[in-house]
Amino acid sequence: MAFLRSPDPRTGLYLRWPLLAGVLIALPFIGLTGYELHLLIISAIFVILSSSLSLIMGYGGLLSLAHAAFFGIGAYTSALLFMNFRLSMWVGLPAAGIVSAIAAICVGSLFLKVRGHRFVITSLAFVEIMRLIAVNAVDLTRGQMGLPGIAAPILTIPGIGTIDFASKTAFYFLAVGGAAICVWTVARIVHSPIGWGLLALRENENLGESVGVSAFRHAMIAFVVGAFFAGIAGSLYAHYTGFVSPDLFFFSYTVTMLVMVVIGGKATILGPIVGAIAFTFLPEYLRVVAQYRLVLVGVVLLATVLAFPNGLVELWSRWLRPALLHLRTLRSRDNAA
Amino acid sequence: MLDLLPQFVFNGLLIGMSYALVAIGMTMIFGIMNIANFAHGEFYMLGGCITYFIAAKLNAPYLVAVPVSVAAVTVLGFLLERTVFRQLRLKSAMSSVLATIGLGLILQNGALIFFGPQPQAIPTSFSAFPLQLGPIFTTQARLFAVAVTAATLVSMYVFLNHTLYGTAMRATFQQTEAAALVAIPIDRMRGLTFALGAGLAALGGALLGAIFFVQPAMGATESLKAFIVVILGGLGSIPGSIVGGIFLGVAESLGTLVSSAYKDAIGFVLVIIVMLYRPDGLFKKS
Repeated sequence: MAFLRSPDPRTGLYLRWPLLAGVLIALPFIGLTGYELHLLIISAIFVILSSSLSLIMGYGGLLSLAHAAFFGIGAYTSALLFMNFRLSMWVGLPAAGIVSAIAAICVGSLFLKVRGHRFVITSLAFVEIMRLIAVNAVDLTRGQMGLPGIAAPILTIPGIGTIDFASKTAFYFLAVGGAAICVWTVARIVHSPIGWGLLALRENENLGESVGVSAFRHAMIAFVVGAFFAGIAGSLYAHYTGFVSPDLFFFSYTVTMLVMVVIGGKATILGPIVGAIAFTFLPEYLRVVAQYRLVLVGVVLLATVLAFPNGLVELWSRWLRPALLHLRTLRSRDNAA
Repeated sequence: MLDLLPQFVFNGLLIGMSYALVAIGMTMIFGIMNIANFAHGEFYMLGGCITYFIAAKLNAPYLVAVPVSVAAVTVLGFLLERTVFRQLRLKSAMSSVLATIGLGLILQNGALIFFGPQPQAIPTSFSAFPLQLGPIFTTQARLFAVAVTAATLVSMYVFLNHTLYGTAMRATFQQTEAAALVAIPIDRMRGLTFALGAGLAALGGALLGAIFFVQPAMGATESLKAFIVVILGGLGSIPGSIVGGIFLGVAESLGTLVSSAYKDAIGFVLVIIVMLYRPDGLFKKS
């Protein structure tokens, strides 16, 4: 495995991505159970949600409790297009992203003028209003009964054949592909002038404004891009599970996303990914202690905020990795002596 | 329709007073520590659930169960301030909101393990027969709740305005550094404020629990309502949260006359409007 730790950083960089892609492509074929594959698909959907939320709250410093609203709007857009017009996911997916983004532009142009607690609470009020609409606009959404029977898409490639995404293996690639595009986009934004503007907004808004960084414009970009991907995640979720209901707007979804971002590490690319995977798999394997599960989530959230405000990724980069490196230096010094 | 109006106003008043009890604590904690406490509704829930436990499981009279449960939650509030909230004071708004969400999860699901998920009625010795007061039908339990809440709100007013501790608390609230300069023990004031806020919320839960039901999930809704009230009344204003609570209760109750499905949306729409256009609350003279 020495080639993975190539002394030339460029070689290391080139090898890392094909290797990761290889692992992701191989995963469904190494004999995972259907249940494990299901958890991987759900993880991928949550990677989209947590990475896009991290762009808003980690880099932009805006604690938005409205992310579940855009997830729900995307899911309902996709579901309603399918139920009413029989439009498949190939139309529903982009439509979901666009409708969520438009909704974000509308509410963002009002909400992004306030900061701190006021932004947190207005965003919470927005998601509650969306939930009440989903429950009460029975003619459109069928209320609490939800919309069942949303089919997974079918892809026909002329000359090759058809792929039915109702199979978990096929949907896995769809979800992982979506997650990869989302993470890539977020990473590109973060490492661009827009990303630096966002950091300026988070660290010191007045100082940023004084050197010409428009706080409102940058906050809006993060908010809309985040909402777009939340909508995409909603569409994937709707077509994967085949069912949407007002429960998608529940505070528990918001809390799940927040926990994933916070525990993984807010302003990092890797953190929300680690958080999303960990918090999809862990609760499933903690079913033995099902009763205590949410208490544990609460304890972990509280402890992370108090002890590791920058998440598990920081635990690795600031404590474990330096410790390992230090050990290695010590050992090589011993060997030399 | 119009002859029902006094009835709806009375019902709104009852709910609104309980909103006010929860909101006063929340607004005081915000004012004194700059923390938006998402776990505050859980004190309301615990007040109701502990009262139920004492009255139903330990067979104590309701009038004993209420003060015992309020005292228990007051102590819990004091301990939480010492352990958790004190550490959050210097953190960002984001950290403190996340931490109180975590704390809310712990309290709510802890209560779920202990009390079970079913809605329960607190047994009381009040007669279940309706009483008629002019155009209003009510019950003994409701009258009791209104009377106790009104008495509590009045004594809160007297405490804050006419006692040494109350004045010190308000001073800390308005200008912490200046209060410290005149030798007010800031840390003790924070602990007391937190304990008092938790106790008031618990009283609301114990009183309304005897009229409706108690269940571990009821705290989360109450937190949301208290946020609405605190914002309507102006963040950090105690008289504002009393007026705001009663205003929201009556507005929701009258809203049922128009559309019962969307009555809960009234508060959220008001919040967004106030947050964006009247940041000091509905009642503040500009």
